Amino acid sequence: MMMKASVRKIVKFERFAQKVSNTSFGIVFASIEGFGTAAEMAKETIRDIFKGFISAKDTVTQMVEVGWSSLPIILLTSFFMGMVLALQVGSATSNMFNEPVYVGTITSFAMAIELGPVLTAIVVTGRVGAAITAEIGTMEVTEQLDALYTLGTNPIRYLAVPRFLACFFMLPALTVISNIVGIYGGMILSTNTWELSSSAFWAEALDFMTICTFLHGFIKSFFFALIIVIVACHKGFNAKGGAEGVGKATTSSVMTSMVFILIADYFLTALRVTLRIK
Amino acid sequence: MIKVDNVYKRFGVKTVLNGVSLDVRSGETLVIIGSSGVGKSILLKNIIGLVKPDSGFIKVDGVDITNCSLRELHETRRKIGYVFQESALFDSLNIFENVAFGLKNLTSLSESEIKQRAKQCLAMVGLENVEHLNPSGLSGGMKKRVGLARAIAYQPEYILYDEPTTGLDPIMSDVINDLIINLKKYLHVTSIVVTHDMNSAYKIADRIMMLYGGNIIFNGTPEEVCNTKNEYVKQFVRGSSQ
Ligand SMILES: Nc1ncnc2c1ncn2[C@@H]1O[C@H](COP(=O)(O)OP(=O)(O)O)[C@@H](O)[C@H]1O
Ligand SMILES: [Mg+2]
Repeated sequence: MMMKASVRKIVKFERFAQKVSNTSFGIVFASIEGFGTAAEMAKETIRDIFKGFISAKDTVTQMVEVGWSSLPIILLTSFFMGMVLALQVGSATSNMFNEPVYVGTITSFAMAIELGPVLTAIVVTGRVGAAITAEIGTMEVTEQLDALYTLGTNPIRYLAVPRFLACFFMLPALTVISNIVGIYGGMILSTNTWELSSSAFWAEALDFMTICTFLHGFIKSFFFALIIVIVACHKGFNAKGGAEGVGKATTSSVMTSMVFILIADYFLTALRVTLRIK
Repeated sequence: MIKVDNVYKRFGVKTVLNGVSLDVRSGETLVIIGSSGVGKSILLKNIIGLVKPDSGFIKVDGVDITNCSLRELHETRRKIGYVFQESALFDSLNIFENVAFGLKNLTSLSESEIKQRAKQCLAMVGLENVEHLNPSGLSGGMKKRVGLARAIAYQPEYILYDEPTTGLDPIMSDVINDLIINLKKYLHVTSIVVTHDMNSAYKIADRIMMLYGGNIIFNGTPEEVCNTKNEYVKQFVRGSSQ
């Protein structure tokens, strides 16, 4: 009888919990819980990496998928981003000072500290983060993850580790390329539209830039990579409810990553400013 | 030996397993019947540790898999093959790689032995020259048989079949029935087979159990099923809607 009463209590509590989870409070609770499970997953992934459970073949495959396959879109978007920056800066300064000034400085600064890392992270979120969530999510809803377990394989080790490594090393690499191509795009525009010589552009660009300016953006991209891959894997592993569920998980993965990237960007920059690192 | 003791499993407010207890003796084929959604798959997943019961315990050769170390769980899983209801083939791998997956992880066979074993297992389920295909290029019934080949490839002592003959044509169903019988006869495999297919159940079963309302409501030999007075069992076996 004791047993019955306690079971009934649990059932009552679950009904209550279900009601709560339908409210916006519930969403907050759910996302806090999500943080917990995502952190748990990340911990396990990193532990497996340090224990050396790394499949070279899978990791290289993923690196190609993340890095090489994202390259064309990164080249294209970065080039145009650099051009539009130079165009905007040139036109704004022309209006103020009757001649375009600081075009090289501002373009390269903006590319290196903000637009290179953030643009790359956003593009990679859309390309790679979405693909990771969709793939792992599909495996979850079709019981392929369960099948991995029954065949003696840990899905974290098999799926999350190679993707984690690939994102962690490829996003910074793409960021460097994005910086270079963006600044180059700015230079092309400046020489054509603002009749700046390329040497003058580079002189402007490099005069104020230190290695720290570059490192600031570069280091941020490692954090962005962590956000993308942890969110993407976590949403994939927790996908529920067939094709529709995978679709929802993918959308949610991209949205969550983008929001966290921009929030993290602010706080990392604020940290740098507070610590007065130039 | 597999021992399921007083297992409860609830999803939200819905109780799926309500104190299920059963024993599977070594070398026998136990068939579990029951209508869709009663929790047959969940029961099998509890046995292999994919789903954790809310209470109760499950012992495989004396190891309580609801509460054991990761190593013990891993050791236990290599003894058990699992045939998924929806095949659950890895669609990023081809058929050979699917069948070889367990062989690579759970055995110490060489590359060429793996190749040979995979081919052999595919032949056992009536498939030839499909090694290089992708799962998406196979029909549902073929996928199911590849899933079966994958589960038997590493020669586990126990095999859990989740509706192995559902969706197969009658001839192929019988091939699978014979396969299950032969695995028992020659390799002394202990099997739990979940099915709706009564022909198959009569043919392969040493014992038949019926799961209803979260409990085992019937446990007997195929003959006892035929002669039972239990209304639910009679109705299920006859397949009548009344
Ligand atoms: N992950 C889950 N979440 C909630 N309910 C579930 C889950 N898995 C199974 N169920 C419920 O458990 C019941 C039994 O499912 P299952 O074991 O798949 O039935 P079957 O006997 O047809 O194999 C179903 O009613 C299903 O709704
Ligand atoms: Mg089922």
